[in-house]
Amino acid sequence: MNKIKIAPSTKSGAHHWLMQRISAIALIPLIFWLVLSFTQIVEDPQGYLPVFFAYPLNAVLGILLITTSLYHGSLGLRVVIEDYIPNKTKMHFYIMLVNFLSIVTSVAVVISIIRLHLIG
Amino acid sequence: MTEKKSGSQRPTSPHLQIYKWNISSLGSIMHRLTGLMLYFSIIAISWYIVYYTYQINISESSENCDCPMNEIINNLFALAGIAVTFALYYHFFNGIRHLFWDMGKGFEKSTVKKTGLLTIALSLIFTALTVGVTLYLKYF
Repeated sequence: MNKIKIAPSTKSGAHHWLMQRISAIALIPLIFWLVLSFTQIVEDPQGYLPVFFAYPLNAVLGILLITTSLYHGSLGLRVVIEDYIPNKTKMHFYIMLVNFLSIVTSVAVVISIIRLHLIG
Repeated sequence: MTEKKSGSQRPTSPHLQIYKWNISSLGSIMHRLTGLMLYFSIIAISWYIVYYTYQINISESSENCDCPMNEIINNLFALAGIAVTFALYYHFFNGIRHLFWDMGKGFEKSTVKKTGLLTIALSLIFTALTVGVTLYLKYF
C-alpha cells in the first residue's frame, strides 16, 4: 500500500470544478443565440461582421460568448493537461500558457468587437 | 485489458490505449477532443475578428482575386467549419448529459447507453440541418 503515490492537488480544485459547471450553464443560452445568428454570418462573413456587431445585443452577447467560452475552455484544458502531463513543472507551465493565451485573446477580441460596434 | 504492461511502461492517467472501446468511453474521449477543437477554434475565430477589425480599410484586393488557391482554401475552411459545427453540437449535447450526471441523474447502464447514442445522433442531425440551411441561404 505504501507504494501508492498520491498526486498532489493543484489547489482550489473544487472551485474550478464548480466554475466549469457554472460557465457551462451560462454558455447554453449563448449557444442558442450563436446558432440562430450563425446562418446570417456564414452567408457573407466579410461584409456582415460590422453590421452584425452594430446591434448592441449582438455586441454584448458576442463578447459574453467569447469570454465565457475561453474561460470554460481554459478550465477544460487545465483538466486535460493535469491528466496527461505527469511532470509537475511542465504541467504548471502549460496551464499558465493556456491561461495567458485565453486572457490575451479575450482582451483583444473585446476591444475589436467594441470597435466594430462603434464603427458599424 | 487487452495486454499486460509492467512497471515504467504503464501509460499515464486515463489509459486510452488499454480499455476496450464502448459507447461510454468513446463519448467521454470525444467530449475532450471536441472541447480541445472548440478551444482552438475560438482562439482562431477571435484572432480572425481582431485581424478583420483592423484591416477593414486597408485592402479589398483578395476578394476580387480569381486564383484557384483561394478557392481551395475557402473549401478547406468550409470543411473545417462543418467539423467545428459538429464538435460544437456534440460538446453542447454531451455537456448537458454531463450536467445531468452532476445532479446524480441518468447513471443506469441502459440510460447511459441510450443518452450516449442520442447525443451522437442529435449532433449529426443538427450538423446536417445547419449545413443544409447554410447552403440553402447561400445558393437559393
